[in-house]
Amino acid sequence: MTTQTRKIKVVLGKVGFDPHDRGVIVLTHALRDAGMEVIFLGKFQTAERVVKAAIDEDADVIALSDHCGVMRLIATDVMAELKRRDATDIVVVAGGIIPEEDIPYLESLGVTGNYRAGTSFQEIIDHITSRVKKERWREV
Amino acid sequence: MGDLWCLNRVARLFIPAPRARMLGQWEVAMTTRQVTYDRAYGSLVRTATQSGIEVKPVYTPQDIADIDYERDIGLPGQYPFTRGIYPEMYRNRLWLKAFIVCYATPEETNRAFKEYIAAGQTGLRILTDTTTLSGVDPDHPLARYDIMCNGNPTFALTEYETMLDGIPLEDVDYESANSTPSGSFFTAVFLVGLVEKMGCDIKRLRGTNINDPIQAFILYGTPEFPMDLARRVTTDLIEFGAKYTPRWHPSTPDGYNMRDAGIDTFRELAFCIANIIQYYGDAIKERGVKLDDFRPMVFSTSAESDFFETACKFRALRRMWARIAKERLGATKPDSMKCRIAIRTAANSMYPQKPINNTARVAYQILGAVLGGVQSIDPSGIDEVFGEPSPESRIFELDIQHIIAHELNVPLVADPLAGSYYVEWLTKRIEEGTWKILNEIDAQGGMWAALKSGWLKQQFDIPTINLYKEIEEGKRLIVGVNSFKGEDGAISRAIIDSAYKVPADPKRFGAIDKVKRLRATRDERKVVDSLNELYRATRDGENIVRPAIEAAKAYATVGEMVGAIRMASGYCYDPYEMVQTPPFMKHLEPSANR
Repeated sequence: MTTQTRKIKVVLGKVGFDPHDRGVIVLTHALRDAGMEVIFLGKFQTAERVVKAAIDEDADVIALSDHCGVMRLIATDVMAELKRRDATDIVVVAGGIIPEEDIPYLESLGVTGNYRAGTSFQEIIDHITSRVKKERWREV
Repeated sequence: MGDLWCLNRVARLFIPAPRARMLGQWEVAMTTRQVTYDRAYGSLVRTATQSGIEVKPVYTPQDIADIDYERDIGLPGQYPFTRGIYPEMYRNRLWLKAFIVCYATPEETNRAFKEYIAAGQTGLRILTDTTTLSGVDPDHPLARYDIMCNGNPTFALTEYETMLDGIPLEDVDYESANSTPSGSFFTAVFLVGLVEKMGCDIKRLRGTNINDPIQAFILYGTPEFPMDLARRVTTDLIEFGAKYTPRWHPSTPDGYNMRDAGIDTFRELAFCIANIIQYYGDAIKERGVKLDDFRPMVFSTSAESDFFETACKFRALRRMWARIAKERLGATKPDSMKCRIAIRTAANSMYPQKPINNTARVAYQILGAVLGGVQSIDPSGIDEVFGEPSPESRIFELDIQHIIAHELNVPLVADPLAGSYYVEWLTKRIEEGTWKILNEIDAQGGMWAALKSGWLKQQFDIPTINLYKEIEEGKRLIVGVNSFKGEDGAISRAIIDSAYKVPADPKRFGAIDKVKRLRATRDERKVVDSLNELYRATRDGENIVRPAIEAAKAYATVGEMVGAIRMASGYCYDPYEMVQTPPFMKHLEPSANR
């Protein structure tokens, strides 16, 4: 497979009871339009289920969405589970309502993007693409 | 009806020829003119409203020639209520200033209610946390993420006792924003339970329960009450309301949430009306209630940034409801043909970029709603996109409404936009588009059928995606977001920092200890007896509102009551299939009863 035809595979998930899924539904379509393969797991997921799906699907990226202001806890659990399952090479990005003061902590975990409403899809697509190319595909 | 409208009619009767010539000349001038749009001068990028209604540069009497004043518009307080439901509109009674008060604990929420009531809040709107809204207790394994998010965990009557301590329960408007199937059910159960426990009269419980399971299946998707159960519980609530709580509206559609998800105004109105036809139609058919048993219907809808579309929407909704109530749902009393409109301003129009701009958005949205003659206004917080609205932003929203009422003098005259060629045309255009969708729903056999077939979900997903595409492609400008961008200054920074944030985990997890303490200290015999009765009533097809109220008074929790109702309907205890049935409810498991 050449890099030109290789598709970035993204698993999108919402952990916990947060019901706000319009953002993640729209993002699913935007990433697909950008040529990525996208699996939206739906709402009411656990950290374990999201990580398992990403490993089973051989995904490059886990994209987490939360509008309850608790991405800090969700990301902590997802990163711990990735470590436990020896899958820390999967790129993790996040978006939603994320308190600004939590962003340095999320970055320190390796969870990047941390986008809020109004962010352009292109910015998100470029960020995911560049992280995957650099960290997963070892392209410069 | 002496106003501009009459003059127009007179003018049309007596001087038709010059007017037609004038219009003809103008139209020729318009079509031959080369129009160039120059973005450098901040030109408009679209010629359609927010819902995609293409509009002309100007409207004239010709655009409303088929509207009959007496038949289609009339007077405020008179059928078809286009101009409002009260003869003197806001002179007698201003709209309710009703917003959600939902801080992390019942104590904080109680203090906030008292502070806001002192500042002019007249409608007390309740929202529970996301965990309780999903039909489980704080000690559910999936709850740790969302305890105290978007509200306080009202898992048992104890929390309502604290949350509403010292606040009058009679003759005060309580509105529920808990719009999952179990959320609506338990708001009614806990409120009635509390009123009775305090020795007050439930006939004097006033307000509205947003209760719209069809909307909830699309937007929340919580599995606690599957479709058959959600439909039955809604009918139970309507029947109970008709008999025992005549001033507490048992079921109003949640147009606000539907609109906020990205649909257009036609679908917002059509889905609201179709849901009412479905829920009340069920109750009329199956339980023998009548629309005349209730106070005027309440519609919860959204006030958007598109100013004229927002104002006209409410006029169209009143006119449509009057006809539907009379001709389709058998209303005979004028009151039953009126609808009270409760709005929330569009939270999805609030942006984190240059948040100072949110102050303008919310103020204009409220103004649009007042010009449209609504009865209840719940504004979004200017800082809502960063967390829960801070107390100062709540007081500010009250003050916007006080300014509109007392400084702008807008409410002095009923329906002041009436008679404008554009407003009357747009009102009619919105009505026509809504009827079209309603007919599509009728052809499918109603809203439950439309939900089950997947048609309804499609109606949501496609416009949502298109909406964001338009923003992305610059076909819809959002100031500070895809145009007129800039840095946040000191004021915007302060707005970002002042939003009420979800508490730290140790405080949130305190709710887990609290529910465990409740379980250890309550009278377990009473709890089990009342849950047994709730189970039996559910199994035997009786109305389950009363047994649930009794279980709530015995301090059964939301999770336990959901479990009993589910097991009596053949489902497992936990909607999320993560926890076991508690030992004291084991005997209710479907397998134990085969």
